[in-house]
Amino acid sequence: MTPITPMPSALAFELVARCSTTKARAAILTLPHGPVQLPLFMPVATQASLKGLTPQQLEETGCRLCLNNTYHLGLKPGQEVLEKVGGAHKLQGWKHNILTDSGGFQMVSLLKLANITEEGVRFLSPHDGTPMLLTPEHSIALQNTIGSDIIMQLDDVLVTTSPDTKRMREAMERSVRWLDRCIAAHANPTKQNLFCIIQGGLDLQMRTECCKEMVARNTPGIAIGGLSGGEAKADYCRVVNTCTGLLPEMKPRYVMGIGYPEDLVVSVALGADMFDCVWPTRTARFGNAITKHGVLNLRHARYANDFGPVEEGCGCVCCRTGDGGLGITKAFVHHVAAKETVGAHLLTMHNVWYQLALMRSVRQSIIEDRFPAFLKNFFSDLHGGDKSKYPEWAVEALKNVGVDLME
Amino acid sequence: MAASNGFPGAGRKIAFEILSHLDANVAGPRLGKLSIKGRHDVETPNFFAVTSRGVIPHLTPDVISSHTHIGGVHMALEDFVERAMGGTPPVVNCPGPSPLHTFTALPKSLPSLLAPRRTPAVSAPNGNSNSAISIFTSTGFQVLSNKSYISYVENLRPDIAISLADIPYGALPGTKRVAKMGDRTQEWLSQLINEKREEQVIFAPVLPIDYLDQSEYLNNIADEQADEVSGLALYDSNLLPDIPATTAITKLPRLSLDEPSSPRQILRQVSLGMDLFTVPFIGFATDAGIALTFRFPRPLPTGVAISNGVGALQLGVDMWPAVHATSVTPLDTSCSCYTCTSHHRAYVQHLLSAKEMLGWVLLQVHNHHILSEFFAAIRESISSGNFDADCEEFGRIYESELPEKSGQGPRVRGYHFKSEGPSEPKKNRPAWGNLGSDDQEASSKLVPDEPAAELEGKGFAEKMED
Ligand SMILES: [Zn+2]
Ligand SMILES: [Zn+2]
Repeated sequence: MTPITPMPSALAFELVARCSTTKARAAILTLPHGPVQLPLFMPVATQASLKGLTPQQLEETGCRLCLNNTYHLGLKPGQEVLEKVGGAHKLQGWKHNILTDSGGFQMVSLLKLANITEEGVRFLSPHDGTPMLLTPEHSIALQNTIGSDIIMQLDDVLVTTSPDTKRMREAMERSVRWLDRCIAAHANPTKQNLFCIIQGGLDLQMRTECCKEMVARNTPGIAIGGLSGGEAKADYCRVVNTCTGLLPEMKPRYVMGIGYPEDLVVSVALGADMFDCVWPTRTARFGNAITKHGVLNLRHARYANDFGPVEEGCGCVCCRTGDGGLGITKAFVHHVAAKETVGAHLLTMHNVWYQLALMRSVRQSIIEDRFPAFLKNFFSDLHGGDKSKYPEWAVEALKNVGVDLME
Repeated sequence: MAASNGFPGAGRKIAFEILSHLDANVAGPRLGKLSIKGRHDVETPNFFAVTSRGVIPHLTPDVISSHTHIGGVHMALEDFVERAMGGTPPVVNCPGPSPLHTFTALPKSLPSLLAPRRTPAVSAPNGNSNSAISIFTSTGFQVLSNKSYISYVENLRPDIAISLADIPYGALPGTKRVAKMGDRTQEWLSQLINEKREEQVIFAPVLPIDYLDQSEYLNNIADEQADEVSGLALYDSNLLPDIPATTAITKLPRLSLDEPSSPRQILRQVSLGMDLFTVPFIGFATDAGIALTFRFPRPLPTGVAISNGVGALQLGVDMWPAVHATSVTPLDTSCSCYTCTSHHRAYVQHLLSAKEMLGWVLLQVHNHHILSEFFAAIRESISSGNFDADCEEFGRIYESELPEKSGQGPRVRGYHFKSEGPSEPKKNRPAWGNLGSDDQEASSKLVPDEPAAELEGKGFAEKMED
């Protein structure tokens, strides 16, 4: 094992409150481009833009930390342009924080011919078939050029549902070795925070080993990876619960690829702090509005004459009336959805606001130590008060951290 | 002293004040102010933004409020009535005193102008009849009778409604057809005037045919209806010098629906005395990825001046080419719009190249701003008496037409939605779909297409030794 040296960090983590029942926490994470409040949802601005929103509009949703995807930025505009322009913040005119992934996950899922060796991710250039290689060193160099506030290690990603235990162990152990290469390659540890990514599939023993190895590397933050890939949610919850139990209290914990509201609130109860997902913004393009009573598809004819706001009581710029609010109705979104991009922009603003506001109220309830009551209200609203509709996995997972939704 | 048309206190919602050029018998550029109750005043010459389905393409209402200075908006009834066959179109059911405004979340300060058809309009395969025209909705062609148009105007309460015009889009009308056009349009206008609420403001259409072929109709407006009509909407600006120069007619604001294809054509129409414009070329330029850069009458000292190589300056800059990829200068260094003060060419070029919707948003904000500045400069020029000389200078300095768009643009409207089905993951499934990847939208464009050496050069990955 590599000798352990304390790693420089470019963040400060301040624990503000702990839920007295569940494992939920409220914290302030201060990053190079300002503080963010945890728990936190991060919208995904894949190619340095969030689905038609201006950075100003994104800022107005309350967002202070968003994602860019390294794979996409590496292709367009590419490292050379990013270097000349001065990084991703300057490229997109974003004054706040950015997190980038390693690019490995997208490479594996987008390039069908990619495979993983000890050196890195091998693939054939789709242009001319030339064999190419993405290494941990490449990924870090690219993220150093992007200048994101949080950068992710390149990991050996395998779907959690893979039945191949031997391959799963190989991936977990390789991810640890790649973390060492990423740490060694990281050029700006005092300006950018490298997060490790815990692997090990659904095997709790393997996850435990990985946590131990990676925690020892002392990165400024820790991600739990390889989830949201099709596993049963009960299994997902067991993995998150196991990992958070082994992670140091004074570091942020990021579960990658999570975005459904019920997944967010349960994951917070299990002790996770940060989440990202393309779903809220992608689903906006299909005319879907996220509300506390569930997702509404506003393209449905039943909304053609619905002159109420997208969500009653919502504080987003679209739903608000008066004082700079736009007073957008479901009928109007229905009128433009799928016909003018403005329809998607409006729902994107609403959906991002919804996700951020949800996390704000989760945080407030933790601070006021009424998070269990919050959870009960949340599930009641989502399922119209009908407990028989509550998802079993959520009931089970919350019971394990002391909240009985059924009582 | 200013000439004023409008009767405040007599139920009229509109007043048009001509601030210069009082001599009704001399054609020429003029300054004016259009005041509509409850909306901001519009200094003329000026333009109304073109909408599609009630929105200025790419711009949400908050962006319109914060980042544009447009005079008002032009809306087309045909964008709202695709459901008319099966019942009442939803816009009609919208509550409140200004249903069209409320339905479209149009900023309250902006005047709305309702026309039966879009500008530009798609030509209809079936002609018009004595009582109805053909319109094109999102679900296909439909017949719109004057009777229902009058009822829509009554229900939607636009600030200004243009009366139905008998225009055979697409085909040049024959002699017999031409004779009918004036008659029908006059008939439809009279019906609207008779049946409308008193405070509803009406603009009368001027048809795109010779003056003599519609003289009876136009003289009737001058003689009988000048008090009922609050403005003229000209489908052909060349008719302007022929309009009867009675005091009552001269006092009316004039709206051009002539679809100028260049700033030079706008200037020509202004010189004939046009007051208000719709300018579809703003949207064409935006969709083609072109940032407009022309100023009136000449570039600002700090501005862009790109020569086409033969002495004349380009009217805009194509933002697609890779030369902009590392340029951290604004689209136009002399521009004070949101795009130019917050972003640079490199970002816009990246967004276009990545087909991100924000690219067109930023261009649309900038291009509308350039047109607002253009009209402000025109007003300034008229006011200082230099308009003719300034037009001459503009014509000498700038190219006559917009730059050619390069091969990559423009985007097809709605392209994001056409290629993809509504296959969304269901709520509350016990397991996830593959949410983390973006491959649904990515498969077509997010696989590297450059040679390996180029990818290596970008730092994306390295070539492997065999
Ligand atoms: Zn909302
Ligand atoms: Zn500008």
